[in-house]
Amino acid sequence: MSPRSLATLELGVAARVARVAGVDALRLRLLEMGFVPGTQVRVIKRAPFGDPLELEVRGGHVSLRAAEAARIEVEG
Amino acid sequence: MSGEALTIALAGNPNVGKTSLFNELTGARHKVGNYAGVTVEILEGEVRGELAGGRRLRVIDLPGTYSLTPIAEDEAVALRGLVGRERPPPDVVVLVVDAANLARNLYLALQVIELGRPLVIALNMIDVAAAAGIAIDPAALAAALGVPVIPTVARSGEGSAALTQAAVEIGEGAPAPVALEELRARLRASPEGPGGEALAGLEAALGDPLRARALVGARAADTVALVAADQREAQAADGVAPEAAIEAAAALAIARYAEVDRLLAALGHADGARSGAPAMDRSARIDRILTHRVWGLAIFIGVMAILFTSIFAWAEPLMGLIEGGIAWLSDQVGALLGPGIFTDLLREGVIAGVGNVLVFIPQIALLFLFVGLLEDSGYMARAAFLIDRLMARVGLHGKAFVPLLSGYACAIPAILGTRTISSFRDRLVTILMIPYMSCSARLPIYVLLIAALMPSDERVGPFTVGGLVLLGMYLLSTASAIVVGAIYKRTILRSPTPPLVLELPPYRLPRLRNTLLAVTDRTMDFVREAGTVILAMTVILWALLSFPRPPEAPAEAGAKVEVVAGAEDAPIVHSIGGRVGVAMEPLLRPMGQEWRVGIAILGSFAAREVMVSTLGLVYGIEGADDDDRPLREAMREAREPDGSRRYTPLRGLALMVFYVYACLCMSTVAVVRRETRSWRWPIFMFVSMTTIAYVAATLTFQVGRLLGFE
Ligand SMILES: Nc1nc2c(ncn2[C@@H]2O[C@H](COP(=O)(O)OP(=O)(O)OP(=O)(O)O)[C@@H](O)[C@H]2O)c(=O)[nH]1
Ligand SMILES: [Mg+2]
Repeated sequence: MSPRSLATLELGVAARVARVAGVDALRLRLLEMGFVPGTQVRVIKRAPFGDPLELEVRGGHVSLRAAEAARIEVEG
Repeated sequence: MSGEALTIALAGNPNVGKTSLFNELTGARHKVGNYAGVTVEILEGEVRGELAGGRRLRVIDLPGTYSLTPIAEDEAVALRGLVGRERPPPDVVVLVVDAANLARNLYLALQVIELGRPLVIALNMIDVAAAAGIAIDPAALAAALGVPVIPTVARSGEGSAALTQAAVEIGEGAPAPVALEELRARLRASPEGPGGEALAGLEAALGDPLRARALVGARAADTVALVAADQREAQAADGVAPEAAIEAAAALAIARYAEVDRLLAALGHADGARSGAPAMDRSARIDRILTHRVWGLAIFIGVMAILFTSIFAWAEPLMGLIEGGIAWLSDQVGALLGPGIFTDLLREGVIAGVGNVLVFIPQIALLFLFVGLLEDSGYMARAAFLIDRLMARVGLHGKAFVPLLSGYACAIPAILGTRTISSFRDRLVTILMIPYMSCSARLPIYVLLIAALMPSDERVGPFTVGGLVLLGMYLLSTASAIVVGAIYKRTILRSPTPPLVLELPPYRLPRLRNTLLAVTDRTMDFVREAGTVILAMTVILWALLSFPRPPEAPAEAGAKVEVVAGAEDAPIVHSIGGRVGVAMEPLLRPMGQEWRVGIAILGSFAAREVMVSTLGLVYGIEGADDDDRPLREAMREAREPDGSRRYTPLRGLALMVFYVYACLCMSTVAVVRRETRSWRWPIFMFVSMTTIAYVAATLTFQVGRLLGFE
């Protein structure tokens, strides 16, 4: 299956990070928060107006906006 | 070298319990809360109790940070403290890790190991880990990392003695075990790809792979000046292209996480990369309601409504008690000293002035209690999550909501709290928004005016009118802060909407004892202010309002009647303060205020609460000597010469609106000056807010009058 954006992942479905796109400080920060290739992520929920997302990664819950989550490509 | 002080620094991810541990070790009571970014400056203290060898142990508590490549001021402060910039570097780093979240926490551990400083790991929150079914063997972790690992529960103090002992041993130069050397060697391996080349180049230039790693990260995060040890390192790092540095830092981040997962696998843990979040199970269930699409918002609004209405309702009986006590004290002083100028000073100045502010202790304490409980439960991060969409409209992110909300208590810590915001422009927007949030110092003013002038006990459904008006003031202030932020963000401080990276911590039961202690501390600050600034201001104002006395005092009894009938000839208008008030009345009339209020407004330029004590003074001096009515009654019953009420609900409302906007807090101005390192922003803030206050209060009064509310 080809990679797709984490922002489009269905709620509760586990997928693995394929890569984080872009070359900037945000990419580095997302990697440092644990969104490294191979890591399992799930979208736990979307906030009342559809944004931001609550994500499960590496034993914790982190909230990102859809725009940032879209930079994380997932597969499987 | 016994006798000499050893310094240990508490570092770690945000919200892992560093400050809890610091308080436990030093006996301090610094602020703890269940959200990332509570501590934003370096705290210092000394370990209490005797240590072996009579040695002194100094502790510094650092802000939390996810990595050593900072993206915000608080993280930069942490890095500076760790590598030793404004102060010497610590002798030992105590890295506090969340035992329930090793899969992420060990990342920072590896970065700190790369730094090469003497290190002890505090494996904190083992109670949480155990409850979530995560079993960790500290000895095995210590063996794998080659670093002492001490299990702790910072909330209860478990393990803190073992921790200080381990820190002292490491500080005295216990040799690094073999495992640590092996780990360092593995961390030194070079990643592949474009980043790898940049790193290799830097390694060749410096001849030290670990320094090269630290510096390439610094280059990526734009912090070379902080991390570079000397000119040579700085030059070499600046020679790397920024994109290449980011690639290299990214490759290193991936390599470190690979090492974390290897370590966890070797310890027999669930695969770090693939573990779910067992410690979040219970919180996720709670969040099904608290951050639910519909219920979440409804509950959020409900929580706010309960907060403000109960502040009003619950404090009322206590207020009556305090008022009674103050009146009693005033009577006692009067009886004891007999009439005279000194008695006047004591009764009308000190007791009435300070007493009128102290009456609001119950409200202030309740407000601090509510905010403290919210902060300690983990709900703050959820509020930020719920409200982020709205904040995004403004152009800020939900994280800015946390300092804004704590602005309800006091603007000063809230302004410091903006250090968690990465972009300086966004930080500035948030700083300029915070003073609009109604802080606890406005509470006495609102409560006084509502209780004096509105039918505050009448009920509308489950709420009292007083509570609803109070809620209205808070809504107005919050909405104004948001509108002002949106305007600044689109005009003078334009910048792209920042990304949001917000951790949602597990819910924790607030510890009532600690919350109550914190409430006591902050309430005492308020009392202390009443005892110093407000007392001093009150005495000065009393003098200004009492002298000079009228040319020749009319017959005593006659004067009293006059005061009740109309104040234009009252002794007070002969005083300096009175004259100033009367002179400025034309300025106040558009917003429906008269000279007594004018004096109070002038007084409140020192501090908002002085408004209440000044009004108390005015009425105390003006009133008869045996008149000990509480200020709110005096205001309610005050009549103009023509018999009309001096203060109508509309006038009270206009005055409250004035206080919503007016920037009347010199400490806020000073802290904005410090945090923005210029006078420009505090002056801008002061002038704009005061202007808005005047215009908004005038509009309220005039529009209200046109609508026939007078
Ligand atoms: N159950 C449990 N809770 C803890 C423990 N240590 C700290 N806490 C709680 O965790 C939360 C965070 O504690 P803090 O001491 O403020 O954490 P911090 O690391 O200083 O946080 P920042 O300053 O934001 O980086 C608070 O709600 C504490 O009560 C522990 O060992 N067990
Ligand atoms: Mg802290």
